[in-house]
Amino acid sequence: MGKLIGRFLSGAVLALLIFIALMPILWTILGSFKTLKDIVTPVPVLFFKPTLANFATILSNPSIRDGLYNSVVVVGASVLLGALLGIPAAYTMARHVDRLKSDMQFFVLSLRFMPPVAIAIPFIVIYLDLGLYDRPIGLIIVYLVSTISTIIWLSVPAFERVPKEIEEAAAMEGCGPAEIFWKFALPIAAPSLFGAVVFTFVLVWNELLLALTLSAENTTLPVVAASITSLGKEVPWGVINASTVILVIPPLVFIGLLMSFINRMVATSKR
Amino acid sequence: MRKQRFVFWSLAPAFAILAILAAVSIAGALYFSVMDRSLRYADYSFVGLYNYQRLLGDRRFLNALRISAIWELVTVCGALIVSILLATFIFERVKSAATRNLICLAFIAPVLLPRVAAAFIWRFLYSPSLGLINYLLGLAGIGPVEFLADPSLALLAVAAVDIWQWGLFFTVIVLKLLETLPKDPIEAALLDKAKTWEVHAYVTLPMLRAPIISLALVKAVESLRSFDLIFVMTGGGPGTATETLDLYAYQAGINLGGRISYASAMSILLLLITTIAFTIVWRGIRKWAN
Repeated sequence: MGKLIGRFLSGAVLALLIFIALMPILWTILGSFKTLKDIVTPVPVLFFKPTLANFATILSNPSIRDGLYNSVVVVGASVLLGALLGIPAAYTMARHVDRLKSDMQFFVLSLRFMPPVAIAIPFIVIYLDLGLYDRPIGLIIVYLVSTISTIIWLSVPAFERVPKEIEEAAAMEGCGPAEIFWKFALPIAAPSLFGAVVFTFVLVWNELLLALTLSAENTTLPVVAASITSLGKEVPWGVINASTVILVIPPLVFIGLLMSFINRMVATSKR
Repeated sequence: MRKQRFVFWSLAPAFAILAILAAVSIAGALYFSVMDRSLRYADYSFVGLYNYQRLLGDRRFLNALRISAIWELVTVCGALIVSILLATFIFERVKSAATRNLICLAFIAPVLLPRVAAAFIWRFLYSPSLGLINYLLGLAGIGPVEFLADPSLALLAVAAVDIWQWGLFFTVIVLKLLETLPKDPIEAALLDKAKTWEVHAYVTLPMLRAPIISLALVKAVESLRSFDLIFVMTGGGPGTATETLDLYAYQAGINLGGRISYASAMSILLLLITTIAFTIVWRGIRKWAN
């Protein structure tokens, strides 16, 4: 009997935990389909006549469309360049660097300690002088710090997991180091590398401070979304919910993939 | 020879870009911090350590320092405590792998949200007039509570959102770590009639000391990036009750007349403090973990 009550209790606690984890997100999605009248009620409504008006407002708003476009361009370019430069560097660090490896890894990690304001403030002045302020290319350059360092940091262990014997056999056959990297190491490590790239994408997609300081008109989606709060006197909660949903979709699409990436990382970090 | 060329060309571009960008921003911040540059005027001149001197007497700066310290402490400890408690609970109570996977998926969702989105979601939930939380509190006869407008509550209310994102995420990781542990020591402890909580407090968690400490370090670094969440939820208010260092530096450097030099001095100090703190903590932890 006591056991039964215990099981029931822990089931209830678990349900509550999942509720706390997901309810805020689901509530926002629900809110994005509500009219303002259904949102501004003293008693929250669960059942209502759904409307697409909020999404229509959002998608017909030019600044949001531009924000979406800029986000795709800036994030896409910086992640792509980060992968292009970071992945070969990570491979070489994993296979051909011995003495300096831990120093290099620490340098890459230490870039993450740098407060974003310490990057943003000097770069404002430099960009104003160079004419790069408010240009997507300026943001892409600054984002390279995050993308290259994160991709290197996550890809080194991915390459270390590739069985050395395969590469040694290839070297015996007379393959050069570039060929070994391209034909053997890269395809074997690809699933983990993909996880690292997606992780980096989520990180940059979510970035606010640098975009807020280094751009004004040509800015990314988080900045545009952050500015909606002050549309006149009435807070357009439905529209805010809808723009939150749009902002949230890309990272959440990858949730399953990131999950398996985490599984692999935890499994190897133990050793 | 081919190998050396490959090594050079695969490393050089990535590290050159990283080094240049890092050097430019640190050198730039150092340079501007000893000038009196502001965005309003084009000309500027050398003022020595004047900006640093003024910072030390700036009560708003000292307040921001204090708020940042509290923020670090609350979010790091909060995320760790939540994750350890929840992970051991799930480890003990949920045995089916499918259910565990489902829980993990649910727990990982919050951390993937953009901070801006998380901030909006919770501002909506916290709202005194139309928020769900205040409605539930109202049913219990409490409230309405002005979570984000009450100076004594605002920082904790924002920290709760941070812990919602990171604490649940770390729960998944700690759970995965618990699953990788060998079964023998746990069974041995159970044979000695140890209670469940004793097994975890004295056997499993000490075995996981090193990875949990790295989690704490990761969280400490990520907590420094509190800007997005606080900026959208409270903007540093009410008053300066939630104004952390990066928020004040942003306000001083961009919003309040663009005092670039003053903000640069602040970010240099911030950089110094974090570097020193992390080096000390890093060393201490390494000693302790071994």
